[in-house]
Amino acid sequence: MAFLELREVTKRFPGVVANDHISLEIDRGEIRALVGENGAGKSTLMKVLSGLYQPDAGEIRLDGRRVVIDSPRRAIELGIGMVHQHFMLIPRFTVLENIVLGSEPARGGVLREREARRVVGELCRRYEFALDLGARVEDLSVGAQQRVEILKVLYRGAEILILDEPTAVLAPQEVRELFVNLRHLRDQGKTIIFISHKLDEVLEIADRISVLRRGVLVGTVRREETDRAALARMMVGRPVLLELEKGPYRPGEDRLVVEDLTVPGPGGRPAVRRVSLRVRAGEIYGIAGIEGNGQSELVEALSGLRRASAGRILIGGVPVTEGRVRRIRELGLAHVPEDRQRRGLILAMTVWENGVLGLHRSPSFARRGWLQVGAIKKHAQSLVREFDIRLPGLDIPVRNVSGGNQQKLILARELGREPTVIVASQPTRGLDIGATEFVRQQLLRARDRGRAVLLVSADLEEVLSLSDRVGVMYGGELVAEFRPGEVTPEEIGHYMLGGRSRTAGAGPARDGAPGGAGRGEAGSASPGTDGAAGAD
Amino acid sequence: MRKRYRYVALELASPLVAIAFAVLVGAVVIAAIGKDPVEVYRIMFTFAFRRLDSVGIMLFGATPLIFSGLAVAISFRAGLFNIGVEGQYLIGTFLAALAGFALKGLPSFVHLPLVIAVAALGGALWSLLPVYLKVRRGVHEVISTIMLNYIAFSLIHYLIADVFMDRQQGLMPGVGNPLIRTPKIAPSALMPRMHGFLALFGVDLPRHVYLNWFFPLGLLLAVAVHYLIWRTAFGYELRAVGHNPAAAEAAGIDPAAVQIRAFLLSGLIAGVTGLSDLLSYFGYMDLDFPKGYGFTGIAVALMGKNNPLGIVLAALLFGFLNRGAEGVQTFAGVPMDTVVILQGVMILSIVVASAVMGRYIRRQERKEALGASW
Repeated sequence: MAFLELREVTKRFPGVVANDHISLEIDRGEIRALVGENGAGKSTLMKVLSGLYQPDAGEIRLDGRRVVIDSPRRAIELGIGMVHQHFMLIPRFTVLENIVLGSEPARGGVLREREARRVVGELCRRYEFALDLGARVEDLSVGAQQRVEILKVLYRGAEILILDEPTAVLAPQEVRELFVNLRHLRDQGKTIIFISHKLDEVLEIADRISVLRRGVLVGTVRREETDRAALARMMVGRPVLLELEKGPYRPGEDRLVVEDLTVPGPGGRPAVRRVSLRVRAGEIYGIAGIEGNGQSELVEALSGLRRASAGRILIGGVPVTEGRVRRIRELGLAHVPEDRQRRGLILAMTVWENGVLGLHRSPSFARRGWLQVGAIKKHAQSLVREFDIRLPGLDIPVRNVSGGNQQKLILARELGREPTVIVASQPTRGLDIGATEFVRQQLLRARDRGRAVLLVSADLEEVLSLSDRVGVMYGGELVAEFRPGEVTPEEIGHYMLGGRSRTAGAGPARDGAPGGAGRGEAGSASPGTDGAAGAD
Repeated sequence: MRKRYRYVALELASPLVAIAFAVLVGAVVIAAIGKDPVEVYRIMFTFAFRRLDSVGIMLFGATPLIFSGLAVAISFRAGLFNIGVEGQYLIGTFLAALAGFALKGLPSFVHLPLVIAVAALGGALWSLLPVYLKVRRGVHEVISTIMLNYIAFSLIHYLIADVFMDRQQGLMPGVGNPLIRTPKIAPSALMPRMHGFLALFGVDLPRHVYLNWFFPLGLLLAVAVHYLIWRTAFGYELRAVGHNPAAAEAAGIDPAAVQIRAFLLSGLIAGVTGLSDLLSYFGYMDLDFPKGYGFTGIAVALMGKNNPLGIVLAALLFGFLNRGAEGVQTFAGVPMDTVVILQGVMILSIVVASAVMGRYIRRQERKEALGASW
């Protein structure tokens, strides 16, 4: 009998079904991997299991008994421990202090340190975790910090451990060590749920793999019975090309040129590696790929918010790699940020004030330093009208406006500048159907009017439907470039998951050395690099 | 639309309710020391408002607080805490005194503005280091400004007592000790009082009132600051950076540059804070020059919600409380500290009431807006 069972678990949010009647059975002493693209529903499902969300339908059974997990505390009581992707540790505290924090052994309010040390030390020995209990967490390596996080849940008696993208922050050696620990834990009877989209790792560590796609469980397979290609197929499925009105594709001159761009990411390691692309007037270039493969850093470099360490960016032919945000905007680049409330709006300010954010010094809105409030309000009025933003007035603080309307405001403001290049990052995330359609139409309209649009989106269907050309990013590199329709969904899935490399417009995919043959060899058919028959 | 007036009314009501609450607490304190609260408050009011000299003294007392409150408010709005107004105004006052006694033979219309400019620059100078350290190195300005306050105290002490002390104070030998003060400021640098002007309206201010033209200057400055914050592109950027530096940056605004400018402006205004006392009352700077305007300025800014009009009102309120305290001390035997308690409770209640009210109004606004925008 399965140890943990989910039956028809369903979770809905306004406008989207995040988990759609998901049924899963996980055995005790199993390592189950949960894979899927962003938005597939993995995080939501885990939040349901760890008590942060309540399912709208369905039930959960633990060891045959029905359980209701109505709070994180209840989850811990039931033995379900969540190890978060972003650690929740106190840097200045020691390992021991972090582990027992919140559940300290104490008698009458007095901390019993020796007992704490004994209990935790015993855990470390049993699960073979090498940790110096007296060391300060801030002095530890990332891998060691993660072990502390894992020990936290073990200390509280977790039988089921949920790890959310645990290898995202680890170096290869640390990944090895983590896997050793996980195997130990499994052999001692613990059940592990491992969330990831790194197929290679999943195929190495998991006993069974469950694939989610768009809120639905596509299937569960044993590791021995599957391979990378099959998983990719399950993850990506058959993207539907949406019915959208697009004008004829008549690209003009290069408006945005990126040459060999390298951009550092967190921790100093390059998040964008030697990416080159060009976006022409009247074209939408879409960047597909699972989030976290360098797209955000690329967008930041293009908009001037992050310095590139190598390579060039040209806007309308003008080099701007050293560029500051203002200069880049003056050259005609508009940016629709992925984090709209942080980068796109000033929530405390009114709608009309947000309507000129970034434009407030242009001659029509400020004369000799004085704001022309009348002109600004009129401008906001026209933005609101054209983009059909429903509001009780212009004077309300923009934080009181719905997410969809906020995004419309940002779009209206940026498109209203008549920019030459538009960089839109996750523009429909979190929006309802109506707003989503609207945003997509606006991007198409801009493209028909001759603008160059760079669209970054984790929604593959969106990218394939809107774009004239598509580039896939994986591991910071642009691993493939093609026109929608030239390539099968399977192949796209492969590229997105680091499978093969394909160069621009060069016909069907060729086998290159995984993750490294690079892109510069367009057309240079170097037979020497054709490896063995490849992943198929 | 009517809803907006309702919110405005609520926002105005909350400090009044808070003051009422503080008055109640004050009454308890007064009763606890064996005095009659009603009587004490009555004396406070009549002393403050029934006498002409009191009104003038209240306005005089409010003057420095208008300047320091505005200085603090500007920095708050840019997202910074200028706790250094204290040191900035002492430095500004000293430099003004220096320019006042060291330069001779200048006509008034040159000397006085010059002295004011010097004070402002002194304040700005003292604010430069903290803001530079903040934007370039992440040093929290609360710490650096407080430290600089102490440095300012000691520096001024040294300069007044050792370097610039007036040795020629014209005392008869053997009679009394010289004051530890700077030389007297030249008459051309002094700020005239408002007596002449008010006499034109039939108002005869008594001689011991020092209400001077820095008061209307303060009011004008409050108006100017209002326009600066709400009507200029710089003010827009200042507010944007104060609310959300990330969005400001994405919009092409340079948060560091804006914060430096805002903080320097704050320092400029802070520098002038002590001039009403220096140029109309004392005529020199000594070791007992009033301290505390910087910290009270923070309270004034908080009470006034960083809004120029509110700051003027809060400064006037403090002026009233201080004058009332004098009267109450003399005529009702209630110690000054009681009023200090009252002031403290008042500040706390106003801040809490405003926070609670603010949250309530925001929640209502949000409910409305979401209802309307679907």
